[in-house]
Amino acid sequence: MKRFITISLSIITAVMILAPYPVCAKKPVKIGVLVPLTGIAAQGGLEMKYGIEMAAREKGTVLGSPIKLLVEDTQVKPPIAVSKAEKLVYRDDCKALIGVLSSGVGLALAKNINKLNVPFLSTHVMTTKFYGLHPMVFRSGQLANDQTAVGNVKGILARPDLKNRTYYVLVHDYSWGHDAGERFIALAKKNGIKIYNENYDKAPIKTKDWSSYISKIKASGADGIYMAFITNVIPVFAKQAADFGLQDKVKLVSAAAPGPLELEAGGTACHGIFGVSDWSWDVNNPTSDDWEMRFWNEYKTIPSDAAVHSYVGAMNLFNAIEKAGSTDAKAIASALKGISYDGPYGTVRISAKDNCMRNDAVLTETMAASDNPFGATVYMKVLHTFPAAELGPPE
Amino acid sequence: MSGTLGIIVDITLNSLVLGGVFLIVAIGLNIIYGLSRIMNMAHGALYAVGAYIGFSLVASGLNFFAALLIAPLIVGVIGLIIERTIIAPMRKRSMAYTLILTYGLMFFLDGSIKYIWGNKPRFIELPEFMQGTLPILGTDYPVFRLVTLLLIILIMGALMLFLNKTKIGIILRASSTIPEMVSCLGVNMSYVHMGAFVLGCVMAGLAGIIAGPLTTIDPLMGGEMLISSFVVIVIGGLGSLRGAVIAALLVGGVQTLAEFFITDLAMVIVYILMAVILAFMPRGLLGEGKFE
Repeated sequence: MKRFITISLSIITAVMILAPYPVCAKKPVKIGVLVPLTGIAAQGGLEMKYGIEMAAREKGTVLGSPIKLLVEDTQVKPPIAVSKAEKLVYRDDCKALIGVLSSGVGLALAKNINKLNVPFLSTHVMTTKFYGLHPMVFRSGQLANDQTAVGNVKGILARPDLKNRTYYVLVHDYSWGHDAGERFIALAKKNGIKIYNENYDKAPIKTKDWSSYISKIKASGADGIYMAFITNVIPVFAKQAADFGLQDKVKLVSAAAPGPLELEAGGTACHGIFGVSDWSWDVNNPTSDDWEMRFWNEYKTIPSDAAVHSYVGAMNLFNAIEKAGSTDAKAIASALKGISYDGPYGTVRISAKDNCMRNDAVLTETMAASDNPFGATVYMKVLHTFPAAELGPPE
Repeated sequence: MSGTLGIIVDITLNSLVLGGVFLIVAIGLNIIYGLSRIMNMAHGALYAVGAYIGFSLVASGLNFFAALLIAPLIVGVIGLIIERTIIAPMRKRSMAYTLILTYGLMFFLDGSIKYIWGNKPRFIELPEFMQGTLPILGTDYPVFRLVTLLLIILIMGALMLFLNKTKIGIILRASSTIPEMVSCLGVNMSYVHMGAFVLGCVMAGLAGIIAGPLTTIDPLMGGEMLISSFVVIVIGGLGSLRGAVIAALLVGGVQTLAEFFITDLAMVIVYILMAVILAFMPRGLLGEGKFE
């Protein structure tokens, strides 16, 4: 008996020593964040990262486990983004992927989603190809190209200073730019807005000197420019257009919201840019105002559209994991369908029909800012709010 | 709307300005290669450093023209430190060593730029008189671009005078073709190489601050300019100063025309031009492997 007790105690002691950590230290739920932190869109990527980090911090836990974000730099290069996604899923065991700024990168990831077998929620990709693309691929911000085109065309038609102009369409030469240009031209023509170049011009992403394009626009006689550029190029183009004296003669309408830091850098040259967007810090409601200050206090960076819709997208993903009740890929994907989050720009609902979000949006014009907590000198003034149903697409 | 003459003037001036910036960067690269046989992969990063230093100087209240003098000198000092600490100890080894070293240096400088100035684009504030446009032959052309053109002509004139009329310039040129003879005459070749590297870096810094207000300052500007300047010196002929002048104007002109008339293929056209020239003239337009 004595021997039996000794052996039993030894076994129990050994089991206690060798057993894994106690259950109270729960394994974190890992989420892979894919954003550009180097390259042309690095500033936008950093703001997206801030938004997602802020959401994770405020949410705290999902399924009783802490949220762990693993951030990787896509460099806005599809092959690099895919290999980073593979690393996040296969090696780091991430249960979902979030972020992605560029449509080219987003489409490349979507193409590989069967292999990756985790839900992928973009918080920035604007291409219309994302509608119903794959049961595991979702968009929660920002506005898609068709929604932007509807907002911008409605905005142009509503404003006498924009309506009776001929628009020169100039886009960045990649999938998002092409899609944005085509969507706008088709809708503008249908609504009687004059387009100078229906076969719109495509500028390489690396273009630094826009003088040839500006000379071409001058020669065309067009008095409006519809531009679809990666956000931080908008002030660069606007600045050079102003250098050539176009600012007083030509109105600029943008398919993408310019980033606030870039607007600051561009200064007065960036005044007078119109465009529809999810949000601007000029959106005044208690949730938005509170979010702005929380963001500002944390990062000391002017709150941006990229940050806010990444925050909202992350909240939608975290809530979907909780709703799913597990980290099973199919369960999360199923929970994302139809989920919604009430945030700084109202309700953002991911359509159960096509996996892409519907939300209200604002038409803005950039202009000199009055006193504000962020010290901004240029801001996107809200001219009009579009209800989600008005921007579509119908479900 | 510009008339035909206005369009021609616009295109011509745009070509000259773009070609001029390519020229200043490419000449710097060519001086270093021609005299020291070093392919400086960090040349584009030094160009970006020049632009950022120029930006900071102007943002701190310094006059643009004062910054135009100081920024290249600071880049020259950085070049001197690089040459003495990294390049000189490797000079006796094969070119591959300095190629790899300067390639690594490029990443270090790019990273430092992002660390110090961040990712967002920067613009250099211009003096009042350089803002606005000037009517020229049926078009309104930015005053700053005209001033830029003038500066490029002045810089090239000064460089030619320096290389052709000063003792140091003559030593530099002679060192390219007959280094042994120059050495026999008691000239310390180490100082010649150092001088060439510093001069090349000063040119890079100068191009950076000139290009800053013209386009924009961002962390990617160096890498992109390095590729363009490689295209220029390959077309012109490695080490050839006159070749670089012709090639820079050719590349600037072709790129501007392509952007205007065949927008979608603008970038490709320049590389097609390079391929065609190299197919018939493998050493470039004036390439003799000598600095002249």
